[in-house]
Amino acid sequence: MDFRFTDDQLTLAESVRDYLAGTHGPEVLRRLDAEGNRDPAIWQGLTEMGLTGLLVPEEHGGLGLGLVEAALIAAECGRACLAEPLVDTAFVAVPWLVRNGDLADLGAIAAGERQMPLPHVLNPWVADGEGSALESVDPLRNLVMFPAAGSADPYLLDLGALMSAAQLVGLADAMLHQAVEYAKIRTQFGQPVGAFQALKHQLASCAVAVEFAKPAVWRAAEALQDGGESASVHVSHAKVAASDAAVLTAETAIQVHGAMGYTYEVDLHFWMKRSWALNGAWGDRAWHLKRIDQAVIGGTMPIGPEHTFA
Amino acid sequence: MKLGFSAEEELFRQECAEWLQGQMAGEFRDIKGISTLTAKAERRKEWEQQLAAHKWSCIGWPSEWGGRDATLAQQVIFAEEYARAGVPGRVNHIGIELAGPTILAFGTEEQKQRFLPGIAAGQTIFCQGFSEPGAGSDLASVRTKGRLENGEWVVNGQKIWTSLAHISDWIFVVTRTEEGSKGPKGLTFLMMELDQPGIEVRGIKQINGDAEFNETFFTDARCAADSMIGGVGEGWKIAMGLLAFERGVSTLGQQMAFRNELDEIIAAAKETGAARNPLIRQRIAKAEIGLRLMRYGALRMLSNTDHSKIDGAALTYKIQWATWRRSLGELAMDVLGQAGELAEGADYEWPVLSNLFLYSRADTIYGGTNQIQRNLIAERGLGLPREPRGDA
Repeated sequence: MDFRFTDDQLTLAESVRDYLAGTHGPEVLRRLDAEGNRDPAIWQGLTEMGLTGLLVPEEHGGLGLGLVEAALIAAECGRACLAEPLVDTAFVAVPWLVRNGDLADLGAIAAGERQMPLPHVLNPWVADGEGSALESVDPLRNLVMFPAAGSADPYLLDLGALMSAAQLVGLADAMLHQAVEYAKIRTQFGQPVGAFQALKHQLASCAVAVEFAKPAVWRAAEALQDGGESASVHVSHAKVAASDAAVLTAETAIQVHGAMGYTYEVDLHFWMKRSWALNGAWGDRAWHLKRIDQAVIGGTMPIGPEHTFA
Repeated sequence: MKLGFSAEEELFRQECAEWLQGQMAGEFRDIKGISTLTAKAERRKEWEQQLAAHKWSCIGWPSEWGGRDATLAQQVIFAEEYARAGVPGRVNHIGIELAGPTILAFGTEEQKQRFLPGIAAGQTIFCQGFSEPGAGSDLASVRTKGRLENGEWVVNGQKIWTSLAHISDWIFVVTRTEEGSKGPKGLTFLMMELDQPGIEVRGIKQINGDAEFNETFFTDARCAADSMIGGVGEGWKIAMGLLAFERGVSTLGQQMAFRNELDEIIAAAKETGAARNPLIRQRIAKAEIGLRLMRYGALRMLSNTDHSKIDGAALTYKIQWATWRRSLGELAMDVLGQAGELAEGADYEWPVLSNLFLYSRADTIYGGTNQIQRNLIAERGLGLPREPRGDA
C-alpha cells in the first residue's frame, strides 16, 4: 500500500509543468484569444516533448506510458489552461483506440500529425473536431457539433471524465494560486485582504476541496488503468470531487478579486470558463452522482464490513 | 502507486481479524458494538489488558516497550480490522496514541521505564489536560499554575473537556510555571496522578446525555519534580509535538468506523423507503464520495515517509472528516424521518444513528474548531498573512 508516485512520474509531471509555465503563460492565452485561438508552434512543442505519443505503444512510435502519467499531465494542462486538443486526442482517444485494436492512426497521432477529439452520445460536441462550429463560453475552446452521433462506449466516457477531472484539479490549483496571491497584495482597511478571516476561510475551504479531490483523481486513473469492475465508480468519484473543487474555487477566486474578478482584463476568467465547460463535459455532476448512488444503493459496488474500500 | 496490500500483509490481516472477531464472539462479546466512550468502562479496561496480554495494545511502539515495531501498513490493517470487528473505542487511546509516543519522543530513559510499561499493559489510563475555561481555541493562554516546592511540582487551576478523566489514572497537564509569562512561553508539561486529594474531577453532561468529559480542578495538587516531560518552559513544544501524533494511523481505523456508519444509513434508507427519494440518494452518493476522499487523502498522507512534515493533506484532514461526519449525522436524521426523534428508552439513551447525529456536533469543535483549522490552512498552507491578534 503506497499512494506515492514514482520519481519518474514526478519528474515527468514537473518537466511538463516547467515547460508550460515557461512557454504558455497568461500572455499566451490573451494573444490566442485575440489572434484566432490556435498556434501550430504550441502543438509542435507538445509533440516534441513526446506528449502526443505518451500513451501510444512504443511499437507505434509513442512512449507507451499509462493513465496515471496521463492524468498527472492532464492536471498540468489544466493548470496552464492549455486549449490545444492534447488531452482529448492523446489521453482520451488514444487509449480508446488501443483498447479497440484500432491502431491505424496511432503513428500519426504520436508524430503530432493527427488530432482526434472524439464525441460520445453523452458528449456530442467536442473541441477542435470536424463539424459545424458552436460558440463556447470558453473563448479558447473551438467547439463543434459532430455530424454523426458518437460512440456509446462507457470506456470512452470514463476516459473523458477521468481526464476532465484531472484537468479540473489543475485548473482549481491555478485559480486558488491566483486568488491567494491577489489576497496577499490587495490592501483595504490598512491591511492585505487575505488577513481577514472572511476571505482566508473561503480560500482555506477551496484548499481542502482541491487537496482531497487530487488523490481521488489518481485513484481513478489507477483503477481505470487496472480495469477493475468498480473503475467506473472511481471515475465518477473523481469527476464529482474535481468539479466541486474547481467550481468552488472559481466562484471564490472571483469573489476574492472583487470587481476586478468580473472583468475580462483579469486572466482568471480563462480558467473559470474552462472549469465551467469541463464541469459539464463527459457527464455532469448530476449524471456521475447518479452512477454512484446506483452503485452504492443498488448494490453493484461491494460495500459492507466484509470489504476493504481502497 | 501500489494500492493493494502484499500477500504477507494480507496474512497479517487475517491474523488480526481472527483474533479480534474471536474475542468479540467470545470472552468480550458483551462490549461488542458499544458506540459511546463511557459505557462499561470497567470491562473496557479489562479489554485493554486483554489486548496487552496478546501484544495487540500498541503494535506501532518499539518491541522493547511492549509493541511489535509494526509497519505503517500493519498498523493500518490492525486499525481497520479493529473497527470492522465492532470492537469499541479504546478507553486508553490517549495513553497509547498521545502520552506514550510523547514519552518515547521526549521523555528520559527513567521516564520511559516508569510510564511506558503501565500504558502498554493497559494498567495506566491517561487523559489530557490542555483546555481551560479561558483557553480553548487560544490554547496558549493557559493559566493553571505550577511551582516547584521542596522537590515537588505544586499545581493550582482548572482544566476542562478532559475526556475520560473520571476513569483515568494519570493526566498530562500544560501548566504556566513562569510567573508573568504569556502565550506559549513559560509553560511546562507535567504528568500527574489523578488519585490525590488536590485533584477533583466533575463530569459534564453532553447534549446526547452521556458524560465523557469533565472539569478537572487542581488545588495544591502534587507530582514529583521529575514528572516533567522536556524542560521547564518547554511545555508548548511538547504539547505541539504531541498533537502531531493525533494525525496518525488511527485515522484509518476511524474511517472503517465511518464506513460502518454510512452502511448503516444506507440500510436504514432501504428499510424506510428513503432510498427511493432522489434527494436522499444524491446525498448518500455525496457521502460516499466524501468518505472516499478521506480514505485516499489519508492513505496519501500516511504514505509520506517524512511524517514530521506537515503537508497539505495533513493540514486539511481534520476539517474534512469532521465536516463530513457532521453532515452524515444530518443525513441519518433525514433518512430516519420522524423516528429520529425517538430515544431508545426512558433514560435518554439513543439508537446508534441518533447518537451519531448528536455526537457529531462535537466533531467540528474539539481538537481545533473548523474555524481554527481554516486559519491554519490559510496561514500555514497558503501563506496568507496572519489575522490581527491581541498581545495576550
